[in-house]
Amino acid sequence: MTFVKTLAVAGVVALALAGCSNKETAPSGSSSASTTATTQLSNPQAPPARVYIDVTIAGGTATPLNQQVEAKLGQPIIVRINSDAADQLHVHSNPEHTFAIKAEKDQQFQFTVDVPGKVDVELHHLDKTVATITVQ
Amino acid sequence: MTSAVLAHGLGGSSDLPIPLTYALIGAAWALTFTFAVVALAWRKPRFDPETPGRALPRWVTTAVDAPVTRWTVGLLALAFAGWVIVASIVGPPGSGNPLPGVFYVLLWVGIVALSVLFGPVWRVLSPVRTIARLLRLSRDAYPARLGYWPAAAGLFAFVWLELASPDPGSVGAVRIWLLIYLAVTLAGAAACGTRWCSHADPFEVYSVVASRCAPLRRNADGQFAVGNPFNHLPTLPIRPATVTVLAVLLGSTAFDSFSATPAWRGFVDAHTSGAIQASALKTVGLAVFVATVALSFSLAARATGGVDRARRRQLPGLLAHSLIPIVIGYVFAHYLTYLVEKGQQTVYLLLGLHDAHVYYILSLHPSVLATTKVLFVVAGHIAGVVAAHDCALRILPKRHQLTGQLAMMLVMVGYTFTGLYLLFGG
Repeated sequence: MTFVKTLAVAGVVALALAGCSNKETAPSGSSSASTTATTQLSNPQAPPARVYIDVTIAGGTATPLNQQVEAKLGQPIIVRINSDAADQLHVHSNPEHTFAIKAEKDQQFQFTVDVPGKVDVELHHLDKTVATITVQ
Repeated sequence: MTSAVLAHGLGGSSDLPIPLTYALIGAAWALTFTFAVVALAWRKPRFDPETPGRALPRWVTTAVDAPVTRWTVGLLALAFAGWVIVASIVGPPGSGNPLPGVFYVLLWVGIVALSVLFGPVWRVLSPVRTIARLLRLSRDAYPARLGYWPAAAGLFAFVWLELASPDPGSVGAVRIWLLIYLAVTLAGAAACGTRWCSHADPFEVYSVVASRCAPLRRNADGQFAVGNPFNHLPTLPIRPATVTVLAVLLGSTAFDSFSATPAWRGFVDAHTSGAIQASALKTVGLAVFVATVALSFSLAARATGGVDRARRRQLPGLLAHSLIPIVIGYVFAHYLTYLVEKGQQTVYLLLGLHDAHVYYILSLHPSVLATTKVLFVVAGHIAGVVAAHDCALRILPKRHQLTGQLAMMLVMVGYTFTGLYLLFGG
């Protein structure tokens, strides 16, 4: 472990020496106001926290787009949709999920992701990515 | 009805970003090795394409070169192509169709993996070559001036379809691309003979480029041999557009990572309305990446003292082979999960096993995957730097050998840092 640390320190020093101005902030500048963890870890019996993604489809466009969301393996992920048009929700996980969106308010679609990776959630007809979920 | 617009047109999740520590460790190693090589390594060129490898038993060459082997493998590959056509027609139109997987994974990544191990296999597998042999096309009239330009254009057309076209996942788009490819390559083979295949077929040129990293090669007498890949690298043919071919490969792979970043996606969404405009903007982005690689490499190769103008113009071509390991390392870092996991899925789809279980052997072990990626990138970088250093000793005038390779080393460090940053941030 100290070896790894030494390497890491060497890496940082080398980068600094090279004058490489890495603008690397925390890996996820996740503006996920819609991600809510509802439970604490203190109670192991509690159901796992859920991840919510809110989307409004109106007037031929969807808001917000390109949300960055984080989730854990097997954690229930719920997409809440208000829509004025029918569409299809594609969840590009392994395996994939597809949900039919109707033109109505307060629809909920729940799924879990069991293989780590970055999962795009897309509206098929609008051809927009509403969220990318980083599952690890 | 087509499937959704997907990255690579294949669906499923993409790789997790590599952790920051991994990227930093990789970058540190890359930097350290680079300057260790420039400052401390050998001062006389060590690698020579003339050095013969350790010859394999004669029967290996006899068996591989036997017409019956060539015909069998060629006809099997042709039959496989036919099978894919049938499977793509009878298969479902959407994500259950095997054609995009065969195209984007087995062909694009699989050929590279085979070529890195065994040499330019596409020469034997290419259905167009087999058809040309069946039709006894034997003209030999390729205009040398064209060089690799048609292949560079073909490679760009491929990465454009994958990364910038409006609907990369649609079976129809892949079919049209392949039909145009077949028409152009067959017409070229009819007009110019099989030299069209070796100069202008994008897959064959990619296969040849990758094969220069292979330990397996032929000696001057045609015998198969196992040798140091560093002796093999400089045998890359230097023709017009050799650098462009490599720039398309490296630039497009970097653009693939870049186009997954939220910043770029937000930018595309904010500045375009509709698929056509988005595709146009992505095309510009892709072209900028390719042009950046081509320009930076060419300029860095020319940045030396003590050579006349004609020699300076030759330098990018002479150094081009040192870019191959960087390209291959980055391609594997980027597409290894695709090859292993989407490859399984594609084979199952081809066999009609739609509910077969795919083993997500890499995705399920993110830290192993991240380590592998960094190792590929750093190993490619080190090999590239070593090759460039040795080549500089061979081609640069004595007094400028140290300063003359500095720009190239910095550019290579730049490629690797960008690559690691994109793997981390993409």
